Amino acid sequence: MKLWNVFLKTLREQVRDPLVLSLTLVFAPLFVLVYHLWIPSGSMMYGVLVINQDRGVLLNDGTTLKAGEQLVMALNTLTYANGNPLLEVSRLDDRNAAETRLRNRDTDALLILPPDFSAALSAAQAGLGVDAQPVIFVGDLTNPYYAIAAVMVNAALDEFIQIATGQPRPLRIVEEPLGASAARTEFENYVPGLLVFAVIMLVFQISMAIAREVEAGTLRRLQLTRMSAFDLLGGTSAVFVLIGVISVLLTFAVAVAIGFRSQGPLWVAILIGAVTSLSIVGVGLIVVCFSKTVTQAFLIANFPLALFMFFSGVIYPFPRQALFTLAGHAVSLYDILPPTHAVVALNKVLTLGVGIGEVMYELIALLALSVFYFAIGVWLFQRKHLSTR
Amino acid sequence: MPNVVLRTENLTKRYGSLTAVNNLTLEVYEGEIFGFLGPNGAGKTTSINMMCGLLEPDAGRVWIHDTPLDGDDKGARSRIGVCPQNVVLWERLTCLEQLQFVGQLYGGRAGEARRRANHLLEILGLTEKRNAMARTLSGGMQRRLNLALALIHDPEIVVLDEPEAGLDPQSRVGLREYIRSLTREAQGVRPKTVILTTHNMDEADRLADRVAIIDYGELLILDTPETLKQRVGEGDIIEIRLSDSPADMATVIAALAAIAAEVRWETAEHTLQVRALHAISKLAELIEVLTALDLQPGEINLRANTLEDVFIQLTGRRLRE
Repeated sequence: MKLWNVFLKTLREQVRDPLVLSLTLVFAPLFVLVYHLWIPSGSMMYGVLVINQDRGVLLNDGTTLKAGEQLVMALNTLTYANGNPLLEVSRLDDRNAAETRLRNRDTDALLILPPDFSAALSAAQAGLGVDAQPVIFVGDLTNPYYAIAAVMVNAALDEFIQIATGQPRPLRIVEEPLGASAARTEFENYVPGLLVFAVIMLVFQISMAIAREVEAGTLRRLQLTRMSAFDLLGGTSAVFVLIGVISVLLTFAVAVAIGFRSQGPLWVAILIGAVTSLSIVGVGLIVVCFSKTVTQAFLIANFPLALFMFFSGVIYPFPRQALFTLAGHAVSLYDILPPTHAVVALNKVLTLGVGIGEVMYELIALLALSVFYFAIGVWLFQRKHLSTR
Repeated sequence: MPNVVLRTENLTKRYGSLTAVNNLTLEVYEGEIFGFLGPNGAGKTTSINMMCGLLEPDAGRVWIHDTPLDGDDKGARSRIGVCPQNVVLWERLTCLEQLQFVGQLYGGRAGEARRRANHLLEILGLTEKRNAMARTLSGGMQRRLNLALALIHDPEIVVLDEPEAGLDPQSRVGLREYIRSLTREAQGVRPKTVILTTHNMDEADRLADRVAIIDYGELLILDTPETLKQRVGEGDIIEIRLSDSPADMATVIAALAAIAAEVRWETAEHTLQVRALHAISKLAELIEVLTALDLQPGEINLRANTLEDVFIQLTGRRLRE
């Protein structure tokens, strides 16, 4: 009952602070919109510059083979499964100018076709020995887009050479995408991370809300009542879990409205979001144990936020170094971070289209972490803020 | 023999090498207004926190009636209501909401908490503001709401920490009357015991039935204001302001001491403080002596002993932290 009183009181306070509440709620939906505006086609186009030095070659039938030109045209026709173009190909003659554009990251890769490109292909088709100048890829290896663009161009080049020389591969290579991952747009790939991002931000809200009680002295007043630490933290946490769930729902609503397609059941994804909110709120409780003011809570909350952002795979995949195996799942150090499981589970549901059975491990891990962090939070809170010693 | 509602027994609290409260033993009687005085850092807040169960003593015990106050005993703790010196409110809750909220956390049912909240809002002149958020109230209104929150669960003992701080004269008078009324039996409301911590000697003198003065964590004195004032010295005080400091102060004091019981020179105020029985009848004689010593009396005040005299005599004039 007292927990319910605290819940109602916290809910009223949050509703009466519309700026902070609306920022919390619209944060992720806004990011979804921004990503959509950033890649309106839904998929990234990788920039490729081509310096085509190919002089062509006169064939026996009197025609001229311009393989460089043909390759550039082939690159222009590369598309995603949904038909969206994959590469944005531009031509250039000056290598210095091209490298300047690469350094400025105006484009992602530079392909230089040698003057004897057609001659080499023609010779290879005739079964003659080939001693051609190399095809050169130039790019900034620290730019992740370079790797993608280079792989795409390389695959297209390989295919082109195979056809042009009439020499089939000794082995056929077949790519089989997991689930519906091949049909996903770049935008759709970002959505699971953004959903987790929306929930992660709760670490600020919960820790600042409780730190406000400490700073204002109202906690001292509450301490005199019959309320327990569990009532206070449970009631307050419930409000922020609710806010987290609403934020997840809003994010989904916006994402679906602008073209996002979930491959798996949406309710499972929402459930994952709700359980993740619970675990993040648990972490927030630990943050507030080390904060006596709202400012301190804000500053300290940045630490778990940074861990969540950079070590849980929310922004980019992080190498997992397995410590041991549990129920067939490799467990790494980063698995103590709830978003790690949330990202994996959401990806499974939204992108690979699995049902609740296949994310049970992640859900149980999230629940266990929620209980763990919440218990530590309550215990620490009692020692740090409610101690009579 | 009055009923003892709160008793401390050798209450001691140490923070490292500092002994904040040392062997504090006192009794607070049921229905009295108990003034708890002391300079800054004397150990008042630490003592009060131990009395409320917010702080565990290193030694000694607090008893409420015959029940020892245990740090985890929320039932015993909720027999006390605390009105802190600083306004402690939830800015984004209305007056009624926060009173109901706290009332329910003390275990009251929603209807009962609401009824009591409305009653307190009415008594404290906040009925019109019952649905206004606390942050929109004036400073005086916030202070009254602060007090209401200490009373919402109808506690037996009410601790008021500097209740008059920041109040205008009208509010102060009203508040004093209300504090007095708390200790009186009223319809449906049991009389309360009030523990008043304050620096305002006038406030303590006017309100308190008994006054305890502590310093350096130790109880210096505990008695009624009248008895305490008598202890400073019998008679009244005549304060005579001189335009110049006398060249030979020892001669002046010796001459006046023949007439009065006690003579003191307050350098900072250029004032002679003369204590004497039937002081007014000796006024002419004192002026004669001063004139004979070529001293020109300026402003002359005649006043009775105050608690401030007692306080200063016991705790000294040195500034505290």
